[in-house]
This record gives sequence, structure tokens and C-alpha cells, in this order.
Amino acid sequence: MFGLLKGLGVTLKNMTKPKVTYNYPAEPIPVPDRFRGIQHFDAEKCIVCNQCALVCPTDCITLTGKRNPDPEKKGKVIEIYDINFEICILCDLCTEVCPTEAIVMTNNFELATYSRDDLFKNMQWLHDNNQNIRQENMSSKPPGAAGGAK
Amino acid sequence: MDLFFYLGPIILMLLLLGFVTYAILFERKVIGWIQNRPGPNQVGPWGLFQTIADVAKLLLKEDIVPGKADRALFKLAPIIAFVPAFAILAVIPFTESWQFGDFAVGLLYYIAISSITIIGILTGAWASNNKYSLLGGMRSAAQMISYEIPLVLSVVGIVMTTGSLDLNDIVLAQKKVWFIVPQFLAFLIFLIASLAELNRTPFDLPEAESELVAGYHVEYTGFRFAFFMLAEYVYVFAMASLTTCLFLGGWLPLFGLTMIPGILWFLLKFSLVVFSLFWIRATMPRLRVDQLMQFAWKVLLPLSLLNIFLTAIFKEIPVLSSFY
Repeated sequence: MFGLLKGLGVTLKNMTKPKVTYNYPAEPIPVPDRFRGIQHFDAEKCIVCNQCALVCPTDCITLTGKRNPDPEKKGKVIEIYDINFEICILCDLCTEVCPTEAIVMTNNFELATYSRDDLFKNMQWLHDNNQNIRQENMSSKPPGAAGGAK
Repeated sequence: MDLFFYLGPIILMLLLLGFVTYAILFERKVIGWIQNRPGPNQVGPWGLFQTIADVAKLLLKEDIVPGKADRALFKLAPIIAFVPAFAILAVIPFTESWQFGDFAVGLLYYIAISSITIIGILTGAWASNNKYSLLGGMRSAAQMISYEIPLVLSVVGIVMTTGSLDLNDIVLAQKKVWFIVPQFLAFLIFLIASLAELNRTPFDLPEAESELVAGYHVEYTGFRFAFFMLAEYVYVFAMASLTTCLFLGGWLPLFGLTMIPGILWFLLKFSLVVFSLFWIRATMPRLRVDQLMQFAWKVLLPLSLLNIFLTAIFKEIPVLSSFY
């Protein structure tokens, strides 16, 4: 009998407690650094080593390079760099393998669109995705030892 | 007076629609707060237009009558369910002067008319030609008929004390002390039985979303469904008003604070009752169907009979008889 009253007391007290819900679409949820979000790509740093495309388990990265337009310099520069987010699993392998931190993870994760075509992101889009870039990118090394991406 | 005779019910109907709209919002808010979340807050400021949006959606929906349903009864059922809910409001004295029909057997009228709704629910349940709705309707009929007996018997103590079935007399008899004090047992029985009559948690077996989908109104959509919901919430209004009149002294002020008008006192007590309905809903789990029936017949009915005997005995004891 008194259990009923006790239960009513519990619910009444609960009314004054702070709310535990997030106002999510209106206020972004903070995510921890080392979160695996949508990649940011910096064409300046890329040396077209092709390692990210090779390591990608879902083959979602397409890249081609061309000769460096400056005849003085050796090596290649990147020409096309696409990630297909229909199949990308955000596994972080491409950013781990990248020797120059040209591709790094960000803390952004909102990919929902009305068309599957929108999920095919090109180099320009990936370059413009420069908000909330992850600070700690060398998970194999202790923080501070390697520079990491700026 | 003549104008009021025609306009009064229309005004009451509009007030009632306003009440139902915001009672639903308030219920969702209260349940939200109890569950540590803010409740509806997206449509309009503080979620104020949430129910309006919901009702607009209901009214825009396609009106479906199932192919195998009994068309005439299917269409009649929401009307049978709703009309008594509105008709019983005629006898509720909101203040000394605000009452639509003041007659000597007001309480009896309320109880008699309100049981017609069961027929509407059962009609709708049967006419839908759906096993879930029929089960829900059967449960509903069994429950409402069973709980009506303790509900009525719990009020008998008050009727014995005042010697009248007129709700005005009952309210005026509470000038010295509200009936919740001398008739506390009756109040508890009345509260429990009225929860069951309203088909609200913990007695919401007729609806029981988790077992019967939605009970008697599974097959109803759009406007007709809205009518069933409206009937349900109008009963919340009516039952809260009746509780206020019977046990909480109606429009009578507390501590002799007569400068606050009677209607405000009524509204205050009324809101308290409505809040406790929502509060109980957010706290209690649903009863099992066999416990439900046993509780009505083996616990509430003997207790309400005991209450009648106690009232009769206390009436004869010199010290206590002033309260009874």
C-alpha cells in the first residue's frame, strides 16, 4: 500500500530534476576528439602515394595524380580525389596510413541527404570540409611526438 | 436568460475543446517532466500548438471504414460515446450561479448518463469487425460496469450525510469541512474507481497499446477516432469536476478566502485533480486483467459497503454526527 505512495513521491521528485535530453538538431552534440567523422582532404600535402586507396576496405576512394606542372620539381600532384560515402565505413584506415596527413578525420558526421548522388564527394568538397578537424591524428604515436595536421 | 440557454452550451463546448487541447499537452508535458525530458516543445512556443497540429492531422486524414465492418453502427458508435460525455456536464455546478441544469437528482443523472458511453464503445468495438477491437471493447464493458458499482456506492455515504442528490446541496454541505476528511475512505474508493471508469492507467486495459494495439478504436481513423479521444478527455473533465464537487468542496473557498472568486477556487481544485490523474498515469504500471476484476469485486465493493455502514453508525454517535 505505501509502496504506491512511495512511487508517487519518486515521480513527483523527478519533475524538478534537470532534463537529460539533448536539443540535438538545434545544438550540436560535442563528440570526443579521435571521433571518426567525415574526412578533410588537403591537396597541398598529398604526394599521390595511393596508400589510402589501397588500404581502403570498401574501395570507396578514387584518386589520380599528374606530373607536377613545375618542371623543376619531382613527383606528382593530385588531380582527382573522390570518396564515395555510400560505401565509406569511416574506418579511419586511410587517415592512419597517410604519411603526410593530407587526409584527416573531422568530428562532423551529418551525411543524411535526399539523394544518393549527393553522397559522392569530390576533392573540392572534402577540402572545404575544414570545420572541427580532429587534432590527434597519430593514434600509433603518443600525442606531441608527431606534429599532426593543423 | 433565453440567450444563455442557447449560447451557454456552445460556449461550454468551446471551453471544453480548449481544455481538451491543453489537457493533452499538459499531460504529455507532465509525463515528460517525470521522465526527465522536456515534453513536446517543437510546435510553437513551449509546444503550445502541438495538440492543434495533431488534431489538424487527424482531421485531414482519410476517413476509412473497413470493408467488413457494420457501416451504420461503425459510424454511430463515436456519437453514442461522445454525446453522454457532454450531456453530463449539464449538472456540474461550476459556481453558485454557473450551472446549466440544476435538478434534485443531479448525481444520479451524472452516473446514469455516463454509463451510456459503454454502449458506444462496445458498438464501435463490435462494428469494427476486428478481434483486437472486440477484445478491447469486451474488457472495457466488463471493467466499466464492474467499477461503476463501487463508484456509486462510495458516493452513497455523501448522499446519506447531505440527504440530497443535488450537487448544489452537496457542495453547500461542505461549508464547515470538505467531505474528503470525514469520507476519506470513500474518496480513495472514488478516486480508484473513477480512474477505472476513465480507462486511464493503471486501468487502461481496454486500450493496452502493448497487447491490444489500441483496443476498441483500432479500426477508427481521422475524425471518428478524434471523437473517441475527445469523449475520453471530456470524461476526464467531467470526472475531475465531479470529484471537486463531491469531495473538495466545489467552488467553496479554503480558509475563508472569499475575495478570490468561486470559479477560481473551482479551477484550482479541478486542476489539482487533473494533475493527479496525469501523475498517477506516469507512475503506475497496468494491472493484470484477472487482478482487475478481483480488485473491483473483492476489495473495492466490500470497502464501499463498509463505508456506508460506518457513515450510518457515525451519524448516530453524538460527537461525530456533526460531520456526518
